[in-house]
This record gives sequence, structure tokens and C-alpha cells, in this order.
Amino acid sequence: MATVPRLLTYQDIPVWRHILIIQWTAQIVSGVVVVALVIWFFTNIGNAIQDRDIPYGFSFLSREYQTPIGEHFIPYESSDTFLYAFGVAITNTLIVAVAGVILATLLGIVIGVARLSGNWLVSKLATVYIEFFRNVPLLVQLLFWFFIILALPPVREGYVIGGMLYVNNGGISLPWPHVSGYAAALTWVALAVVAVVIGVALNKWLSYRETTTGKPSYPLIIGIAAPLLLGAIAWLVLSFATGDSPFFISTPEPQGRFGRIVGGFTARTGLLVMLLGLVIYTASFIAEIVRAGIQSVGRGQTEAARALGLSPMNTLRRVVFPQALRVIIPPLISQCLNLTKNSSLAGAVGYSDLTSVALTMTQTAPAVSIFMLIMGAYLAMSLTWSLIGNLYNRRLQFGGRR
Amino acid sequence: MSRKVLTLVVVLAVAMVALIACQEDNTAAMEALQRENATMESEMAAMEARMAEMESMTAEMMEGGRLETVKARGNLICAGNNSLAGFGAADAAGNVGGFDIDLCRAVAVAVLGDANALEIRPTTAAERGPTMQSGEVDIMSRNTTWTSSRNAQWGNFAPTMFYDGQGFMVPTSLGVNTLAELEGAKICVQQGTTTELNVQDFDNQNNMNLEFVISADNIATNAAYLAGNCDALTTDRSGLVSTRAELDNPADHVILPGTISEEPLGPVVPHGDEQWYDLVSAVMGILIYAEAYGITQSNVPTAVTGDSAVDRLFGLEGDYGQEDMGLSKTAAQDIIRAVGNYGEIYDRHLTPLGLAREGSRNALWSAAPCTDCPKGGQVYTAPLR
Repeated sequence: MATVPRLLTYQDIPVWRHILIIQWTAQIVSGVVVVALVIWFFTNIGNAIQDRDIPYGFSFLSREYQTPIGEHFIPYESSDTFLYAFGVAITNTLIVAVAGVILATLLGIVIGVARLSGNWLVSKLATVYIEFFRNVPLLVQLLFWFFIILALPPVREGYVIGGMLYVNNGGISLPWPHVSGYAAALTWVALAVVAVVIGVALNKWLSYRETTTGKPSYPLIIGIAAPLLLGAIAWLVLSFATGDSPFFISTPEPQGRFGRIVGGFTARTGLLVMLLGLVIYTASFIAEIVRAGIQSVGRGQTEAARALGLSPMNTLRRVVFPQALRVIIPPLISQCLNLTKNSSLAGAVGYSDLTSVALTMTQTAPAVSIFMLIMGAYLAMSLTWSLIGNLYNRRLQFGGRR
Repeated sequence: MSRKVLTLVVVLAVAMVALIACQEDNTAAMEALQRENATMESEMAAMEARMAEMESMTAEMMEGGRLETVKARGNLICAGNNSLAGFGAADAAGNVGGFDIDLCRAVAVAVLGDANALEIRPTTAAERGPTMQSGEVDIMSRNTTWTSSRNAQWGNFAPTMFYDGQGFMVPTSLGVNTLAELEGAKICVQQGTTTELNVQDFDNQNNMNLEFVISADNIATNAAYLAGNCDALTTDRSGLVSTRAELDNPADHVILPGTISEEPLGPVVPHGDEQWYDLVSAVMGILIYAEAYGITQSNVPTAVTGDSAVDRLFGLEGDYGQEDMGLSKTAAQDIIRAVGNYGEIYDRHLTPLGLAREGSRNALWSAAPCTDCPKGGQVYTAPLR
């Protein structure tokens, strides 16, 4: 009679090969290691601070800063506090980051699409652009743009275009709208909100009409033009009603012995260099992300769309791109983070960003505390980008993949 | 030593594996292993004892302070400037030298007997504070203004090496002749400097309505000024003279008369080590008093001269507290022979820039040992005795 093979049971497995034991041991060991490392880091910092008598604390935040900040977009006086100066610096970083992300995304999409173009010249130019700017260190590029802009004529000999636009090595000055008071500002904010709502609604409705009836309705053009038209009408009406323009266009004008430009808006050298450098550099990465996204959409989709009679532009806009976005968004978020963090190189080209101002603060305030604030601020900014990106990404996913 | 420990660990591990493998029943092997284990344990104990000894030695060294640390390391780490001609700048071969750097060389001679046992850490203005606070450098000699808050936060300032004040340089073509005429100008200023703070005060006090172009280092600041990105460049007057001397056409730029601040520049040492501070201060004293006594690189005395002040300074008779500071008795001989006295250092680096010393604040206070022979300057330290 053949013996029946005995089934293996848990009792037969040696203790050290038991899956539960292995898993739990690994968890406990790694947990202990992580906790020990964190404790070690913090006690080490604490000890170093004590041993070396390094000053720390945050009471300095309410002291007067008394140091100039080169460029500021919200009013700043040297008698303002450290905390306020910190806010000014964060604003400077945010302006570069937000403007940079928007411009880099637009440029990146154009270059990415160009790279896939059937036109040999266009596609090769895009390839050269990507390979060049992606492979040269950002700091080098920033310094390059810095010296390019410095090579422009100085302000007294600069170019004046149409009596309104001043281009020189101090920056670019252009006419800029100024609201003439607090009440007027509120009116304009309210109007802007209404205009945007109307614009979006028009766009949605016209798109719907176009897709259901097939009549060309230009949802994008009308969606943008209508609010602008509304703004122009509102301006005329308000001007007549109040007898005074609620906002006026301030034009830049040179003043005094040194020909300093007053009025309008001046994008100074530092801001220009940062935007040029960051946008061109980051766009080269975004272009590759966009290309990957577009190529991830099956060829059949394009063919089907073309067979339905959609124009190449519409094929891209309505069929390929919406699908490509699912692949594009996650790495795009990480490029937004990179751009924001890379803006910390601004000090090298004289733009007063968060890092450069905060480093200056270490002259008169404890460095340890300052660095904690810098890290906290960048962390907050990065997490905000991630949050926005992830929310958008979630909206884009197919129902089943949420 | 670490190799020994490693071997030991490996041997132990093998032994343990063997132990487990032979767990069954092998008395002979077991006994052999036990014996081996016993010898190993005694070896371990000896090793541990030696390690404890080493540890206590390191601890002692740390407590003994920076002097011992520097001696054990074999070189002096000095934070310096590498882009300010005359004070601290790299030459064509990449070697950093200058007036400030020579103080570090003098300290290196005093501690290690070799002016080249030196590591220069180029440091930007904004990095200075954190660098000093971290304690990673032994000394900073980098045209740094002595201020009360820096003294409290960064480290202790040894005696002032150079008396300076902040001024402005403008292109001659602007036709500006006085500071008051700078109203409404754009000013190039370097980030993280007292200059930055002073020019803000100057602006506030005189309602100058200035605008600032702030750059991270000398090179970017000067580039911005030369490109006409700003109307005037401001920094310490010595820095202006140094920058102007380096320009292609110095006559196109004029340094305006008048200073807006007090800028005593001197070396800084980390907080918390009095002996090291005393030593650096004494080295400064040696440089200054050697000049006062007329001793140069070429006539360093090696035998008693009969002039008791000179003999004391050069360790030939009497002493000035060398032992307490950790200096060798004849440290001054080595220092002066290697780097020269204060005047020689000045002439080597600053005179070529056009920074006249005669009649300036950087002349000696008096020519010792003469008691009433003022030289008209402010350069002076604690007498060495």
C-alpha cells in the first residue's frame, strides 16, 4: 500500500523562514532604525547648538529688518519687520514660480508638439533645443542670461519703443494699469470675477453647441474676448458715471539726473534673467514629458479621428491631448516642484528671492532659525503644487481608475 | 586598527557559525572552540581597553581646544576671500593670497611652523556667519567688519587689521562730485555685508530715495556696475580702490570724497576657546610690534640684541606669555622670517593698489619703544609682555 504523502503544515516550517516572523521582524527592525536615526539627528543638532553656543529662537521676527531688498512687488520699507520682509521674499519667489510654471508649461507643450511634427526642420529644431537646454546646468544658463542682459545698453542709452516701452540692462519697463483707490480696486475684483464666470459659461455653452450641432462656434476665442469686451464697456460706463477713470494706465518715464525710470511696471534684470533661465530650462523637460504623453496615446486614436474628418489641430486638441494629459500631469507636477526649488538660485543673478533674502538675514538673525524657516516655506510651496496637481490629476482619470 | 577589528569580527562570526553547526554533539571540537573563544575574549578585552584609551585621548584633544585640533590635523583652515584684489584673491595659478591671507599664513607659522600648512576656504559675504557658527574653520580673515552683533553671534574678533570706511565710486561721465548728488541713484551693493546695512541707513537718514541692485558676490556686483546697471558702486573704500585699480580704465571712475560708516576689518575666531583667541591676537601683535621695532624679514634677531623689548618679542630673553597661549618661545622669529612684519605685508599687497599708508589711519600708532613718537595712525594692539 502506497503511503499518502503528508501535507506540509506550519509546524514543519523552521521559525526563521516563517513568513509572518520575517515580515514582523523586518518591520520592527526598520521602524527602530528610522526612529533611532530621527532621534540621533535631532539630538545631534541640539547638542551642536549647545556646544557651540549657536544662537537660535524666533524672537527676531518682530524686529525691524533694516536691510534693503533689491526687488519687491508689495510695498517694503527698511523699517518693516523680519516677518514682513520674509513675506516680501516669499512673494518674490512665488511670482517667479507661478509665472515660470505657466510660461514653461506653454513653451514646453509647443516644443513637445513640435518635436513630433512631420516637418523635418521643426522637429529637428525642437530636438536641438531640448538636448541643448536640458544638458547645460541651470546655474550656468542663468549666468549666461545675466551677462546677455547686462550687455544691453544702460538705462540712459537704452532703447525706447514707441515712447512707452523701455528696454535696457536695468530691465524692461512697460505701461501698466493702476487702480485709483481701494474702492475702485474692489469694484474691479468683483467685475473680474463676473467676467471670468461669464467667459467660462460662454465657453462651455459654445463647446456644447459645437459638438452637438457641428456648427463652428469658436468657444475659445469668444470665451476670452467676451470678458475683455465686458471690461472695456465697464470702464467706459464707470468713467462716465463717476467722471473719473476708475483705473488708469501709468506709463514709464525717465526722471532726474540718473534717468531712473518711474511709473509703469519694470521687470528688472534679476526677474528677467530668472524667468528666461527657468522657463527655457524647465520647458525642455516638459517638452519631453509632453512628447511621451502624446506617444502613449494609441495610433488608432489619431487615425480614427482623422477618418472622422477632424482636422489635425482638432485631432490633437480633442482626441489625443485629453488622453495624453493623464500621462503628462504626474511628471509635470514634479517639474513644477523643480522650477520652484530651482528659483533658489536667484541670488547668483541678483534677484531677491526667498533664499537670497533669508541668507542676508543670517547677518543679523540666528542662522539655524532662518534655515528652518526657509525649509518650511519651500516645503509648503512644494506641497501646495503637489496638492493642486494631484487634485487635477484625479479629475482626469478614468472613472474606474480613481 | 580597524583592520584588526574587522578580522576579529570575521573570526568571531566564523566561530559562531561553526558553533551552531557543531551544536549536535562534538565535544572535542567544542572544547577546542571554547578555548579559542577564551583567548579571543581576552584579546577583545585588551582591544576594548585600547579603544577606551583612544576615546579619552580624542576627548582630551577636543577639550584641549582648537590649538591641539589644528596641530593634530596638520593644517590651518582659514576662511578667506578669493576675489578682492590685495586682500584675498586668486592669482593666475589659482593660489589665494593677499593682506588678509597673510595673517592666516602667520598663524599657520605660529602653530605649525609652516606658512603653507594652510587650507583657504573661499567664503562669500553671506556665507560668513553660518561658516563661523558651525566651527568648521579655525579662523576667518576676510575683510570682515567688526560689529557688536557679529561679535555676539559669529565669533570673537581679534585686533583690527585694517581701518576702513564705506564710500561710493561713480563713472566720471556722470559728473557727480559729492555724496549728496547721488539722490535718486541706483546703487550696486553686495549681499550680506555691513555695506548693505549702512547704505540703507544713509538712504533713510538723508532721504536719498536710492534704489538698490543687490548681487551675491564681488564679481557680479562689479559686473553690474561696469555694465551701467547702476549709477554708483558702494563698498569699503579699500575695496573700491582695489576694484578701481583692476579696471581697464581707472580714470573713467572716481571715488567720491566722504565715508558713510566705520569699518574696522579684522580676523574672527570661533567662540568658546580663549586660548586660541589669545594666540591669534598675539600673532597680530607680533606683526605690528615687529614693524614698530624695525625688525623685517631680513634682520630677524637670533641672538640677544640688548634691546629688552626686541629680545622679549623674539624669545631671546624673558617672555610675553607664549607658554599660556601655546606658542613656541621663538614663534616671532619664524613668523617674521616667513611672512614679514605688518608694514611689509601692507607694502606687498596694498601699496601696489594705490592704498597709500602714510598719513592714513592704517599707519602705526607709534614707533615703539619710543614713548612719544606718534606715527599718526591707529594700528595698535596689546603690548607684548
